[in-house]
Amino acid sequence: MSVGYKAVQWNRQKRIYDVILWLSVFLYLWGFMTFTEKAGDNLDTHGVAIRAYGSAAFILLHIILSIGPLSRLNPKFLPLLFNRRHMGVTMFFLALAHVDGWKILKLPWELFGAKAPKFPWDFNGALTWYHDFGDLDPLVSLFVGNTHYGDFILFPFEFLGVIALFILFLMAATSHDFWLANLTAPIWKALHMGVYLAYGLLVGHVVLGALQTNKHPSLTIAVLVGMVWIVGLHLITGYREFQKDKKALFLTTNDFVEVGTIDEIPESRAKVVIVSGERVAIFKYEGKISAVSNVCQHQNGPLGEGKIVEGCITCPWHGYQYLPESGASPPPFEERIPTFAVKVEGDRIFVSTTPNPPGTRVEPALIT
Amino acid sequence: MKNQSKPDEFYISYAPVPKGYRRFLFRFVPLLVIGVVLFAGLLPMVHNQFNTGKLQGTQELEGFLAAEPVPHLVVPRPGNIGDNSPFSRYLLTGGGKTAPSADILEHLGRWVKLTGTMVSRNQLSVIATRSAEPIDPPASAAARPQEGKPIGTYTLTGEILDSKCYPGVMKPGQGKTHRACAIRCISGGVPAVFRVQNSRKDVLYFLLADQQGKAINERILDLVADPVEITGDVIQYDDMFVVQADPDSYKRV
Ligand code: HEM
Ligand code: FES
Repeated sequence: MSVGYKAVQWNRQKRIYDVILWLSVFLYLWGFMTFTEKAGDNLDTHGVAIRAYGSAAFILLHIILSIGPLSRLNPKFLPLLFNRRHMGVTMFFLALAHVDGWKILKLPWELFGAKAPKFPWDFNGALTWYHDFGDLDPLVSLFVGNTHYGDFILFPFEFLGVIALFILFLMAATSHDFWLANLTAPIWKALHMGVYLAYGLLVGHVVLGALQTNKHPSLTIAVLVGMVWIVGLHLITGYREFQKDKKALFLTTNDFVEVGTIDEIPESRAKVVIVSGERVAIFKYEGKISAVSNVCQHQNGPLGEGKIVEGCITCPWHGYQYLPESGASPPPFEERIPTFAVKVEGDRIFVSTTPNPPGTRVEPALIT
Repeated sequence: MKNQSKPDEFYISYAPVPKGYRRFLFRFVPLLVIGVVLFAGLLPMVHNQFNTGKLQGTQELEGFLAAEPVPHLVVPRPGNIGDNSPFSRYLLTGGGKTAPSADILEHLGRWVKLTGTMVSRNQLSVIATRSAEPIDPPASAAARPQEGKPIGTYTLTGEILDSKCYPGVMKPGQGKTHRACAIRCISGGVPAVFRVQNSRKDVLYFLLADQQGKAINERILDLVADPVEITGDVIQYDDMFVVQADPDSYKRV
């Protein structure tokens, strides 16, 4: 990982990031409730917090889903990406508050059978507000109140929110790298792709809920624009990736395949090609050429968009590092990626079509 | 590569931020934050369905505790009432989404002094009852309020609401988002009310009852908060209107 043993886990930039994130969330919530009170004379503002927190979570979800594709289109967005995890967890807690107020803060007291203090920012979440104080347990009422599960327009939109909240919970609970290591990357990655399912469910939650009650066209348009933005951004990025891959595809039956020329690759950077169906990053540095798998062991970041810093391939996403010759992280770190044998003839570069096991040392090809 | 015109900047979260990135972030992040705050201002302006209802605080009222079609309090109007009906009628509930408690209902058919929180939204008022104590009938008013006056058969289109949260503190207290809450209320014994808007946007409220004049609460839960058409006999009890119809004949429109 990091050569200098720098605090990758917690550092100054992460703190600045978090402060800006939480300040913006606070400004939004405070603004929403304040402007609401200004919307009319002497309005009773009970229950407005449910809207404020729900919409805050929904907007934050749009931002989270935009960062990935945006930073593929322009690396300047990468500083927003490295700490996306905190955005995700923040969004989960906003959604939880939308549903349950700040009851979770009262757990420590309730576990000991004590009476929890009343927090000044506390409010009744949607579950309590709409389902409690009646003749059924609120959690039962949530599922049996509106029973039109077979109808589209009448569909109990709350149910979509429940599934989405469950997915967001699983993701927030497993967001730490500890779980990434223990669940293994593919399972973790698949779980975190659930965010797209959650997004779809939440669009349904809003369209069949709030937009059925308040049919103001601007609201519908806002949700629609958000959806077109998210889907469009992913389609554009996906298409560009596809085009790049098509250009970089080298089909071959030989042991080595020609992948381009030395002057195509800037110093300390890489060119990404596809060899035998796998993305390979070919780095040029200090008069040498090395080829490694393009996939970062951390969260599958695109190593070929990284750079050689202090002698190590550095991932653009979270800064994990690998030695270009061996694909191994400098000790004491233990991440390893597959390497590929390389040859240089004149200014032409050739790469082996079969990867070496992760961490195998390969002599770099010298640029003559 | 020598003499690159642009430095080859690369962002690493634990290293100092390169100049170009710094410049970009100093422009983009404030823009994002301003955008977010702008949203907080704009959204409440269009998402402005509020409740004009209010909790009016604790009140004490003396009146006749009537049982049908739902428990309600009949209060003689003070002073010279002219052509107006001599009584006001207030719907009753318990605390939360419930019917009045048993120690209030035991006085049905008698005159009581009732304590509770008044909740009202235009001409719809409900009292969340807390306690009741029997009193002697007043000398001036008729000891028993009048029977209802049938005023004809009508077909009405509107929405079934609960008479507590709708005039209470919900936003907006009707429509799909409020459906689950209204179902809880009505199922818990809060009187079901039919909200009808005429072509001049005047809002009228009708208490719902079956042909025998009994409450229909648990029979209409499935139709709450949807547009519904009801054809039935409208009966006026002072300032309260009741529409009597077989709940099976209610139609979703
Ligand atoms: C158990 C799960 C959930 C329940 C019971 C629930 C319930 C509700 C209810 C009753 C409303 C209407 C609120 C009102 O108009 O006062 C609502 C609106 C909304 N919910 Fe949820 N929700 C759930 C999960 C979520 C989650 C996970 C999100 C995440 C982002 C979310 C986002 C929203 C949004 C954006 C709105 C529209 C807010 C507005 O009217 O301005 N909900 N939800
Ligand atoms: S450092 Fe996280 S994906 Fe590479």
